[in-house]
Amino acid sequence: MNPLSEIHIDALTEVFNIGAGRAASSLSEIVGDEVILSVPSLQLVNSSEINAQMLSLNSPRLGAVKQQFSGPFNAEAMLLFTEERALEIVHDMMGSHVSIEELAEYEQEAMCELGNIILNACLSAMADILGLVLESSLPQYRVDLSDAILKQIIEEANQPLMLVLHIDLAIEKRHSQGYLAFLLSSTSLEELLVHIDRFLGNI
Amino acid sequence: MNQHTATSSIPVDINPLSELIWDAINQGLILIDNNGLVVMWNKWIAKHSGIPPEFAIGHSLESLFPDGLSAAFKTALKNALSHKLPIVLSNALHRSPLPLFSVPVTKGDQPRLQQSTALTPIIDETGKHFCLIQITDATTSVKRERVLRSHSEQLSIEATTDGLTSCFNRRFFDDRFKAEFARAQRQSTPLSLIMLDIDFFKDYNDNYGHPAGDKALISVVNALKTQLNRATDVVTRYGGEEFAIILPGCAAEGSLSVAEKLRMAVIDLNIPHLFSKANKVLTISIGITTYMADTPCSASCLLDTADIALYRAKKDGRNCVRQLITPHCRKTGPNDSQQPRLTVCMT
Repeated sequence: MNPLSEIHIDALTEVFNIGAGRAASSLSEIVGDEVILSVPSLQLVNSSEINAQMLSLNSPRLGAVKQQFSGPFNAEAMLLFTEERALEIVHDMMGSHVSIEELAEYEQEAMCELGNIILNACLSAMADILGLVLESSLPQYRVDLSDAILKQIIEEANQPLMLVLHIDLAIEKRHSQGYLAFLLSSTSLEELLVHIDRFLGNI
Repeated sequence: MNQHTATSSIPVDINPLSELIWDAINQGLILIDNNGLVVMWNKWIAKHSGIPPEFAIGHSLESLFPDGLSAAFKTALKNALSHKLPIVLSNALHRSPLPLFSVPVTKGDQPRLQQSTALTPIIDETGKHFCLIQITDATTSVKRERVLRSHSEQLSIEATTDGLTSCFNRRFFDDRFKAEFARAQRQSTPLSLIMLDIDFFKDYNDNYGHPAGDKALISVVNALKTQLNRATDVVTRYGGEEFAIILPGCAAEGSLSVAEKLRMAVIDLNIPHLFSKANKVLTISIGITTYMADTPCSASCLLDTADIALYRAKKDGRNCVRQLITPHCRKTGPNDSQQPRLTVCMT
């Protein structure tokens, strides 16, 4: 069932950790404080098994930033966070103290930027390491009930398997720690595997 | 000068209709080539930067805006050109990445336009890479945000304020108490809670009339406020003539001395109350309880204990302070109405 071997998983975890490192340095620049991002785990799961609990996103509402990537293989990458967590991060970044109930339009735009930084960093790391060129759409941001968000993601992806990454985010100064989920659904998972194998063969 | 130095902002291979559209679009558009040089520069950007296209084309943004570009914008542009992935710069995190101004551009002390920016890589049919920079004037939406935010702040103040006395209301108390209790538990710090009641207030109202009663309530609140120095210690109207004060980080002795000061401050108001059985002037009864760090006690247990302390103060003749410390609160479940085991009762 699972076409990913241990070695594939290790290689992808490595790739995404490099991406996370790049995103962290961009975020640190914005926050003016050290931001640490890491990808502790990665797994390939059946779309039907994806739910908020399995993503450890226990919140009635979720925020999602989505980008469509295309190139040698096509992928839809999404960053998911609990609404509360999302705002905490934005507030840390902006240094403001607005309450969560006052979620404002332009903060949503900031979430879009945050997601964009992390998604671009992860996908560009993958492209660099695997020697590919990827294109992407501008990011879209959406906040809604968790079930609605996940249902839509799974329907739109319309793929039996999805790659799920857990991302830890820590902002030094604020001692704030958080957790983001990254979903990658590839219409050409096979293609991705070919590229990973080629990369592994070259090491 | 560069060979692009035409009067038009558009390279020759763009058709005339596209050029008209490019200039008609009501947002800033800049096209940068793979070497970071400006290829296209629309009317909007010319108007708001004060730089006409004939000066801009063929130059890098850094040379056009020598110290005007934000560091984040430079990084974003570099990334967009190298990774070929689109990038957004939100207004919330980057107010004004480019030195653009409202018209007329005077270049004096003019504030920069609020901007929302997107960088999109573009590849033409010959495989050449470009980066399109789109800039939207966010001034209006930022203004609207501010108005909405200030309205919402005003509403939230109103929702937590007691209309008569202007101190905080019960709703505020409930939220704050829950939060402060959770914090005390988390940080292992003490937390004291004062509950107080104006003695024989019903008799005051019945005899002096409600307008006088209202005035007395306001005076009492103001007197209580003068005794609280820390920003975290606020008076809340718990109900009718009952008030509650949360003292975060305050242990038993500290809260006792605060309570005593509160009691004296109300006596010092010297509001005659001939119908009180406690004194000739308006007085208060006070119950205090203190949460000691790392003891098994819940927020509702602490609240109940403060109530019991207040009840004792009333039973002991009013115009006095009674304190209950809860080292071993025995509340085990939400429905357990068993009285907490308490020690010490003083003053």
